[in-house]
Amino acid sequence: MAMTNPVSIIKGAISLIIGLGVTIKAFFQPVVTCQYPREVIAISPRFRGHTKLVGDDENPDRTRCIVCGMCERSCPSGAIHKVEGEKREGEKKKVATSYILDFSTCSQCGICVEVCPTDALAFSADYNIVGYSREDCRFDLVKEYEKRKTT
Amino acid sequence: MTETIVNNIADVIGWETIRTVVGLVGVLVVVVVNALVLTWAERKVSAHMQRRIGPKEVGPFGLLQPIADTVKLLAKELLTPQNVEKPLYYLAPVIVFIPVLVSFVVIPFDARLQVKDINVGVLVILAFSSLSVLSILLAGLGSNNKYSLIGSVRSIAQNIAYEIPLLLSLLSVVLMANSLSLRDIVEAQKGVWYVFSQPIAFLIFFIASVAETNRTPFDLPEAESELVAGFHTEYSGMRFALFFLAEYTNVFIVCAMTTTFFLGGYQGPILPGIIWFFAKTYLLVFVILWFRWTFPRVRFDQLLNFSWKLLIPLSFLNLIVTGGLLKL
Amino acid sequence: MVTGIIEDLKKTLTGIDVSEASYGQNGYHVAVEAQKGSLVNVAEFFNGRTFYLADLCCVDYVDYLELVYFFNHHKTLCRVKVTLKVEPEKPTAPTISHIYTISHWYEREIHEFFGVYFEGHPNLIYLFLHEGIDHYPLRKQPTPVPEDDKKLLNSFNPEGEEDTFFVNLGPQHPSTHGVLRVVLKMDGEYILGAEPVLGYLHRMHEKMAENRSYVQFLPNPARIDYPGALLLNLAHVMTVEKLCGIEVPERAQYIRTITCELNRIASHLLWFGAFPADLGALTPFLYAFDDREQILDILEAITGSRLTYCYFRFGGLYNDIDDTFIEMTKRFIKRMRERFEVYDRLVTGNVIFVNRAKGTGILEQGEVHKYGCSGPVIRSTGIPFDIRKTEPYAAYDKTDFEIPTGTVGDNMDRYDVRMTEMEMSLRIIEQAIAKLPSGPFKAEKVPKKLKPPKGDIYHAVESSRGEAGVYIVSDESDTPYRMRWRVPSYSNLMTFPFLARGTLIADAIATLGSYDIVVPEIDR
Repeated sequence: MAMTNPVSIIKGAISLIIGLGVTIKAFFQPVVTCQYPREVIAISPRFRGHTKLVGDDENPDRTRCIVCGMCERSCPSGAIHKVEGEKREGEKKKVATSYILDFSTCSQCGICVEVCPTDALAFSADYNIVGYSREDCRFDLVKEYEKRKTT
Repeated sequence: MTETIVNNIADVIGWETIRTVVGLVGVLVVVVVNALVLTWAERKVSAHMQRRIGPKEVGPFGLLQPIADTVKLLAKELLTPQNVEKPLYYLAPVIVFIPVLVSFVVIPFDARLQVKDINVGVLVILAFSSLSVLSILLAGLGSNNKYSLIGSVRSIAQNIAYEIPLLLSLLSVVLMANSLSLRDIVEAQKGVWYVFSQPIAFLIFFIASVAETNRTPFDLPEAESELVAGFHTEYSGMRFALFFLAEYTNVFIVCAMTTTFFLGGYQGPILPGIIWFFAKTYLLVFVILWFRWTFPRVRFDQLLNFSWKLLIPLSFLNLIVTGGLLKL
Repeated sequence: MVTGIIEDLKKTLTGIDVSEASYGQNGYHVAVEAQKGSLVNVAEFFNGRTFYLADLCCVDYVDYLELVYFFNHHKTLCRVKVTLKVEPEKPTAPTISHIYTISHWYEREIHEFFGVYFEGHPNLIYLFLHEGIDHYPLRKQPTPVPEDDKKLLNSFNPEGEEDTFFVNLGPQHPSTHGVLRVVLKMDGEYILGAEPVLGYLHRMHEKMAENRSYVQFLPNPARIDYPGALLLNLAHVMTVEKLCGIEVPERAQYIRTITCELNRIASHLLWFGAFPADLGALTPFLYAFDDREQILDILEAITGSRLTYCYFRFGGLYNDIDDTFIEMTKRFIKRMRERFEVYDRLVTGNVIFVNRAKGTGILEQGEVHKYGCSGPVIRSTGIPFDIRKTEPYAAYDKTDFEIPTGTVGDNMDRYDVRMTEMEMSLRIIEQAIAKLPSGPFKAEKVPKKLKPPKGDIYHAVESSRGEAGVYIVSDESDTPYRMRWRVPSYSNLMTFPFLARGTLIADAIATLGSYDIVVPEIDR
C-alpha cells in the first residue's frame, strides 16, 4: 500500500511543496490579464469585424460596389440583403444605394469578401457592437460608408 | 454618576454576565469582519496566484467588494425549492452558525483578552467545532437533492475520520502543557513553541483541520466538479451566505486553534499580543487558501485511507512517544 | 494487406460482391456490397481481424437507401467500405450492435434520421431528437414518421431498485463540458450504470450541408468542433479538394500544417485546463488559458478570428502568412517549452493528481476496436494509431515526429499522451517553419462554382480528439448530395458507460475529463 510507505509519503509531500512553489511564484509575478474597459488591446490588422464597403479610389463619393449581387448569393447565412443601386450620370457602373448586412447572422467567414469582383468589401475593426434588438444588428453599409467618409 | 450606575447594574446581574455579553458581541463583530476579510482575501489570493487582479472596482483594491456581495445576497429572494424537508432545510443555516460562535469564546486573543477561560477549553472548542457537521447533515437531508445528500454523507464520514487524529495530536500538546485550559497551553509555550517540540502533532493537526473545514484538497462535501455545490446546492441568498460565513469562520477558528496550540498564541516580542495572534492566524489562513488554489481534490476512499491508515496510527505513535518521554 | 483482405473476403464469405477501389480517388481500398443475409457475417469477419468500425451512415438514393459501413484497421491501413441496400418503404436491416458496440449509437442515429429499423437492436430509440419528429429529416422525399413510432426519448427511467438511485449528471453540470447529460444509476458513491443522453446541441450540420454549396459550408466545420476549428476546417476542405482533384501548392500545405498544429495545442491546452479542474484544481485552468491566449493571438493575426476560424479555402488559404506570424510562433514555441516545466511541477508530479489519475478509467487494448475510438484515447492503450502517420496529409510526411503512446490506457496515460503530443506539435511547427517554401499560397485554377464529378469519397484527418472524417456523395451539382461527418468524440464517449460502471463518481468524472469530449461535435 503506497499510502503507508514512508518513501512515497515523503516523495508525495515534496511534490506538493513543489506545486505550492509554482503558485506562490505566480502570486508575486505581475498579472497577465488586460483590464478591459480601462485598457484596450491593439486590434490585429487582419481582425474580422463586420464587413465594410471600400471607397472608390478615383471617386471617393461612391463605393467600389457595382451591385452585382455576388456576395448576396454566396453568403452561407443569408446575412446580406437589399443590395440595390442606381445608374448615375457619368458613371459606367451602378452605384450602391443600399447594402444591408445582418450582423446577427454573419459569421465573418470572408466568402463575400473573396467573391467580390471589385474588392469592394473589407473587414472593419469594430469589435464592440451592441444593441437592444436584432434590428440594431442590421447595418446599412452604404450609410456606414457615408458616415465614415465625412468623419 | 455613570460609574455608580454601571456598578449598580453589575451588582444586579453580575460582572461575569456583562463580560460574557460584551464578549459575545465582540465575537460577533470579529466573525462578521473576518468573513468579509476572508472572502476578499480568497478572491485576491486566488486571483494573484492565477495572475489576475481580482476584485478592484469597489473601493480601493476592491476592499469593499465583500460588502457589495453581502448587500446583494441580503437583497436576494430566499428561494425554497419544492419538496424540501422544511424544518431541516430552514434549520441548517442557523445551526451552522452557533458552534462557530461558541468556539470563539475560549480562544485567548491576548494575555487578558478572552471571553471566558474555561478549564476544559480544549474540550469545548473540539466539541463545538465538530458540531458544524450536524448542520451539513441537516442541509443534505433536508434539501431533497441527491448531490446534497451525497455531500452531507461524505461530510460525516470525513468528520469522523479526521476528528480522531485532531484529538490525538492535541492530546500530546495537552500532556506537555499539563492543562486543558487554552490560556495555560499558551503560557506553557513561553520558551519553546510546540511546533518545534511537537512537529508531527502540528502537521497532523493542521492537515486534519483543513479536512475539518472542508477545504481543498479535502473539499469533498462541496466538490463542485462532482456534486455541483454539494450540501448547499439548493441554498441561495442569505441562507447560502450563512454557510459561507460559517465556512470562513471555521477556517479562522482552526487557524486560531493551531496558533494557540502550536505557534505560541499571542506570544511574541515587541508588538502587542493581539497583533501576534492575528498575524500568526492569518498566515495559516493564507496557507489554507494557498492549498486551495494549488491542489486537486483527493478521492473519497483516499481521504479516508489517509486518515485511518496514516494519520491516526501516526498520531497514536506520537502520543505514546510523548507520554513516554514526559514520564521519563 | 489490401489484396489479402480481398482474397480472404472472397474465400470465406458468400453473398457479397467485393471489388478493389481507388484509394486516391475514393479514400477507401476495398468496396464490399453485402446483402441483408451476409452483413452480420461481414461484420464478424472484420471484428475477427480487429478492424474498427470507423463510421456507419446512410445515404438516401430515393429508389433505395444505402447503409455505408467504413472499416479500417488501427495498425495497418486498410479502409473498407461495406454497403447494404435497403428498400425505401419501411426499411429494415440487421443490427451489428452485438458485434460492434459503437453501432448502438450509429444505428439509433440512422433510425431517427432515415427511419431504418435495425432488427435485433436492443434499444432502438432516438439518439438526438428528443422531442420526436414528423418526417425523417435526411430522407430526400418527404417521409412521414408512422404514428405509432413518434416515440420520445425515454432512457431516463427512475424506477430504481432498493438501495439504488438515479442521478442526472447534466445537462447543466460543471464537469460535463457543455450540455452532455449522463444518467447515472448509483449505489451510494458507486456507479452501477451510466448512459449518455445526447442531442442538447444538435443542429443538423449534415442537413445544412445538403442545402449549401461546398463553399458555403466553409464556416460550419468550425462550429462542429470549436476548440479545434481549423482541424475540421481542413477535413472539409481537403475532402472537397480530393473530390474535385484540386492540387494545393506546397506553401499552403506547410502553412496548413503549422496552423493546424497551433490549433491542436490550443485545443489540448483547453483540455489541460479542464482536466485538473474536474479533479478540483482550478489554477492550471487559468495558466493554460494564459498560454492558449498566445496561440489565439497568433492565429488571430493571420485568420482574423480567435475561435471559429474559417481560414482554409479550396486549393489553399484565405491569405498568406507574414514574418510577424513566424516571429510570434517562434517566440511561442520557446515560451511553451518553459511552460511545460511549470505544468509538470504543478500538475503532472502532484501526488494527489497522480493518485487520482493512475489506475482509473482503464480502457483495455483488446476492446478498443469495438468502440471505434481514435486519437489520444486509443493511443493511451498502446496502439500508435495516428492518421497524420498512417495517411499523411498536408506536410506531415515531411516532418519528423513521434506518436506518443501509453501502456495501460488509464487516465494518467491519456494525460501523458496529450502532454507529449503538445510537445510533438511544437516540434512539427518548428520543422515546418524551417522548411517553409516560398510560392503561391493558393491554387490558381479553382473554379468559383465547384461542381465535383459524380462519386463518393471518405477522407479523414487527425483532429485533436481523433479521427475526424468526411464522407461526401456528389451528384455533380454544386451542393453535396450527402455529407456525413464522422467525429471522434462520438465514438470516444461510447466507451464511457463501460469505463464508468462500478467506479466511484469521482473516478467517472476524471474519466470523462480525460476524454476531452466536445459536445457540439458529438451532437453535430
